Amino acid sequence: MSEAPKAMTAEEAYHNENDKVLRFLEPRFHEEKFPSIQILGYIGSLILTFGAYFLVMNHVLPPVALLSVILILAVFQAALQLGVFMHIREGRGLAWQLIPLYFVFFVALGMVAMSIWIMLFKSGVS
Amino acid sequence: MSLPLAEKAGQHPLPIEFADEKESIKITGFWMFLVTDVLIFASLFSTYAVFRTSVAMGPTPDQLFRMGPVMLETILLLTSSFTIGLGVYFMRKGQVRALMGWMIVTILLGAGFVGTEIHDFVTFAQMGATWHTSAFLSAFDILVGTHGAHVTFGIFWAITLLFQLRKRGITPQTARKVYTYSLYWHFLDIVWIFIYTFVYLNGKIV
Repeated sequence: MSEAPKAMTAEEAYHNENDKVLRFLEPRFHEEKFPSIQILGYIGSLILTFGAYFLVMNHVLPPVALLSVILILAVFQAALQLGVFMHIREGRGLAWQLIPLYFVFFVALGMVAMSIWIMLFKSGVS
Repeated sequence: MSLPLAEKAGQHPLPIEFADEKESIKITGFWMFLVTDVLIFASLFSTYAVFRTSVAMGPTPDQLFRMGPVMLETILLLTSSFTIGLGVYFMRKGQVRALMGWMIVTILLGAGFVGTEIHDFVTFAQMGATWHTSAFLSAFDILVGTHGAHVTFGIFWAITLLFQLRKRGITPQTARKVYTYSLYWHFLDIVWIFIYTFVYLNGKIV
């Protein structure tokens, strides 16, 4: 009878070439003496919010381009909230939440974008 | 293959909310709840995207929205997201008084947000812009109202957490509860950023 496979250490498993998923799901923690990253995140979110406000109020771009730009700013701010405040990469052992989260962003974007797209065909029901 | 589920040897210890295996599974479970909540808001955003030009005889978004209260709500919610972030930071330092203080600040900011929003909705209703008026207003009220209901629930949740923290202090269990609450609160901030951008600012783009 063959010997049972030896259990990997965490270090080996996270850097196992045959299993890239483990490397992707490796949790990362961030600790500091002073909450500087939170303060920077707060300032960043205020800049993004007021930036979008002034872009819209001064009508700096044509409508469709303006909407695209402020939506990109909103996505940046969502990423900032997830990364700075929600500790998206933290977990015990593996950060399993990343897989359904990325999947649901894909689904949500699809739902909204496809709804907008289908309403561009106004013929018949408008 | 055996998965490495323990913390990495030789490195810093896990934060207290992940210290207990059963409690940390509940954090993963809470992420799954947030994933389903993303879908609720995605459907409401789709509805709004479809109906926002169907104003019938009612006001258009540009005529209805006043940016003053909206900016106030945005600043209140962004700041509350920051303060609960500081709360979790101090929770990991084991400072229960600082955590409770920042949670109280968060609750007050959240209450300011809900108060401003209710005042805004009452003003709309007095102008005759209720959710009966047009498809645009139905979609608007249900999207922004669902978010406001989430924030209201979050305020009551935070109050219950304050009582638990005062009685038990920071344990793996209360720390997990505060951590999931902070995830919920930041998530609502993200949803509000999209409401602010896609509903209010978009309404001002003519």
